[in-house]
Amino acid sequence: MGAFKAIVNGMGTTLRKPRILIILYVVNILFALVVAFPFLALVQTELGYSLLGMNIRPVDLMWIGEAVLKHQDALAAIVSGFVACGFAYLVLHVFLNGGIVGRLLDREGPADLASFWGDCGRYFWRFVRLFLLSLLFLVLSLGIVMKLVSALFTPLSEAAVTEWPALILSNLHFLIALLLLSIVHMIIDYARIAVVADEERKVLKALRHALTFLKKRFFRAWAIYLLIVAATVAGSVVFYVVLGGLGAPAVVQVVAALVWMQLYVVFRIWIRTLFVAAQAEFYRSHPY
Amino acid sequence: MRIRILRACLMLGTALVLWPAPSIPGQAPDSPAAGAPGLRYEIWVELDAAGKMLVGKEEIVWTNPTKDTVPDMLLHLYWNAFKNEASAFLREAEAETKFRGDGSPEDGEWGWVDVTDIRLADGSDLKPSFAYVTPDGPETAGDETVARVLFPDPVAPGESVHLRIEFRSKIPRTVARSGYYKNSFFIGQWYPKPGVYEEGRGWNCHAYHQNSEFFSDFADFVVHITVPRGSVIGSSGKAADSRTDESAGTTTTTFRQAMVHDFAWMTDPRYLKVEQDFIASREVTPKEYDDTAKLLGLSIDEVRLPDVKMILLIAPEHKGQIERHFRALRAAIKYYGLWYGPYPYETVTMVDPPYRTGSGGMEYPTLFTAGTQVLTSPDELDPEGVIVHEFGHGYWYGLTATNEFEAAWLDEGFNTYSTGLVLARAYGPGAIPFNFKGIPLSSFLRIPKVFDFETNRVTAIQTVRFDPVTTWSWKFYNRGSYGANVYMRAATLLGTLEDLLGEPAWSRIMRTYHMRYRFRHPTKADFIGVVNEIAGKDMTWFFDELFDSTRPFDYGVSDLYSVKVPVHIRGVFDTGGAREEWTDKRIKEAETVKAKPGESSAPETAYRTTFVLRRYGEARIGGDTRIQAVVRFKDGTTETRTWDGQARWARFEIIKPVEAESVQIDPEGVWLIDENLANNSQGTDGFRLNTSKLMTQLLFTVQCILHFFGSWS
Repeated sequence: MGAFKAIVNGMGTTLRKPRILIILYVVNILFALVVAFPFLALVQTELGYSLLGMNIRPVDLMWIGEAVLKHQDALAAIVSGFVACGFAYLVLHVFLNGGIVGRLLDREGPADLASFWGDCGRYFWRFVRLFLLSLLFLVLSLGIVMKLVSALFTPLSEAAVTEWPALILSNLHFLIALLLLSIVHMIIDYARIAVVADEERKVLKALRHALTFLKKRFFRAWAIYLLIVAATVAGSVVFYVVLGGLGAPAVVQVVAALVWMQLYVVFRIWIRTLFVAAQAEFYRSHPY
Repeated sequence: MRIRILRACLMLGTALVLWPAPSIPGQAPDSPAAGAPGLRYEIWVELDAAGKMLVGKEEIVWTNPTKDTVPDMLLHLYWNAFKNEASAFLREAEAETKFRGDGSPEDGEWGWVDVTDIRLADGSDLKPSFAYVTPDGPETAGDETVARVLFPDPVAPGESVHLRIEFRSKIPRTVARSGYYKNSFFIGQWYPKPGVYEEGRGWNCHAYHQNSEFFSDFADFVVHITVPRGSVIGSSGKAADSRTDESAGTTTTTFRQAMVHDFAWMTDPRYLKVEQDFIASREVTPKEYDDTAKLLGLSIDEVRLPDVKMILLIAPEHKGQIERHFRALRAAIKYYGLWYGPYPYETVTMVDPPYRTGSGGMEYPTLFTAGTQVLTSPDELDPEGVIVHEFGHGYWYGLTATNEFEAAWLDEGFNTYSTGLVLARAYGPGAIPFNFKGIPLSSFLRIPKVFDFETNRVTAIQTVRFDPVTTWSWKFYNRGSYGANVYMRAATLLGTLEDLLGEPAWSRIMRTYHMRYRFRHPTKADFIGVVNEIAGKDMTWFFDELFDSTRPFDYGVSDLYSVKVPVHIRGVFDTGGAREEWTDKRIKEAETVKAKPGESSAPETAYRTTFVLRRYGEARIGGDTRIQAVVRFKDGTTETRTWDGQARWARFEIIKPVEAESVQIDPEGVWLIDENLANNSQGTDGFRLNTSKLMTQLLFTVQCILHFFGSWS
């Protein structure tokens, strides 16, 4: 199966199971509302009755400066709380991954709540182990490869007479890190798929399945991954261009912006499911 | 001492002898052509590019400008700040953990200046008396950036002394402002230089501190710089002549400049040297001259600008930005010239700082360093901001030569404020610099654009509680407090003062202050004197309260409500000799009576609007200044009330036949330094469309961040 076909089939699978998307969106917005509530309350308290609220800009440095000054004592707690919420959301997603992968791999099966949550529970501990393994994998691979790249680049950068070599090498370094990250991410995606598709209980074995699978068709698999990344970037560009065109705030524009932003969140969540669905299509079409 | 001077003059080089006689000590001339009253330098320096050394000798003629008899001289030896970790500079830097690690000089990369010989022109050797001193107290013990020599005979008032100094300097591998990288050199604060003698106070000659710049006297300079043949050279002053020694493979260029208080230069074999002229008749329209003259109350001839030779030394990789550099410089010469006074020198040299020399964004008389990168965005005012700022120091530091050790805000604050005005006038707002790995993201993303006064205020309000603006440079809480106070807070306060006094008065204040103290060393008191004189009132309270203190400024509104005023109230009243009681029932009946035809209608409904103004901060307004509160009513009418702002709060009541819609203090936005603008107004309804938009964006941002976290699962 080619990369495009895998993606198209994956799209079909995700569109046939919109409930997964709805579940993920609801989880996202509910969690976000809880996290954002203190900030929203702060904005309303500070600006709801102030005339400043009539002219506040999306990134209003003057007001942000005031808010930081007023709440600087709580800043560390706010940042820690935010990171803790992010971590909690990450753990929640480790749990949700079971449902996402389980339901998307079960092409003809239902995507009802019971099946979804059932898969979440069924695969949770395996996915936790896989997540921890992925962290180790990430640290090792990025640590070793990027250290080697740095060792190669640093003398060149230090010997530079102008900014160009340092600028190019620095960006090249970053690009290599991103590509490496995409590879690690992709390997873990396939390991997750292997856990479900092969009913593999041992995550190391699942990882081995994924690596064996990718060894034979690495570039096609990577193409799938990078094409979906490209689609995400393209979608994001469209989103920001349209959002910027919504113009000066009137009630209609504010509502339109809200709807547009939520559509973008849905798009991003859908992309997330597309990664799984397309890679699952590809994995299943090449039994090893 | 007079005899010694004569001998000295005879022994001096031709250039020194041919200079005009010193004018009266203590009286600064009004233009460079008159020459410096009490200080002259002639310096010969050779660059050893391979050894990263400077070998030099200098002749200094110093005339005692005071009524004191002076027994000694204190000399700055700035590069000893990079000699070892006992220097005040590196100790202070280490305390802030800035220079340990990457920024600290590596082994073999230290810099220093050795005075190898110092004597009077009659041959008297001063070296035996040469000793390092620590004028800033025992906390700088071990520092070698100030040295003292004793004269055999004290220098009487009006007498001159002629010194000959030989020195050898190791160029530092870039710690701050000066340094080298490969064959690029930026050389600043490099020669032994006397402090400033102040009557009754002695030598003002501080150590080189991390959070401080410099202070020295106006002088006439002749500097002969020898560099490897083929190197491009740029310097303070004007190149007089140049000759090449083929056998030695060197070129010596002589630069001259009168009435400057420092001299810096750079050299790099790769650099491009481009010259353009600032032609005033092309840059300034007759209407601009006319408007400026009217605003300042001067004649058009008094505001007319001279032409200036602009010299740019730029790295080849920045060649595409040459016009961008000149455009910014033209704007700076024009607006500083129109507003504060014409640029008095023939040349200005703008240096694109050599790569990795850490010399960017620094000012020297008639020369400054800018700073750019290979990738720039037209939306970000970079390098424009740094060009305007550093040229502006030619005015605030160069011409009004304030003491940067003791009153850094008088140059940095004034100049940050002025930079913002020039950028706003010439370019409008600029995108917030947002670079990622050397790539300006404003080329691709819609980055918000802001004026300098906005970013200055944001920083200013964060720093009020740390130190007074007027703190001595190295005595600030830390480098952040130093920078934020002397640059941004001072600029914000000057902007506030401008709005408070109004443009006509303020323009004249700035012009008068600058022109009156050109070629002098003004202090805070001098500036306050001009403010009070032109404003016609005592504004000293403004400086006491806001510059000299750590008191935050925050006035606000805390309550606003309108309640119906009843026409009748309950109780027993004596009216026209009779006593009557108003009960609830009777009031109700009276209010439901309809007016009969031909009679006046029932009494109009009235509302009592109450609002409270509060002084949340410690700082108070003073003099005849008042806090102004404007109440807007639902029928569109407004009422204004004023408050002297001394107490913690004041309650106001207004009775009108309509309810209030909002109350706002400082509606003109005068008090930019107010740290909480959100509480300056209050409306009666709690819905603001822009606030709702902000909240939707906030929610969206949180959703995206969470999604990002989730994608790592």
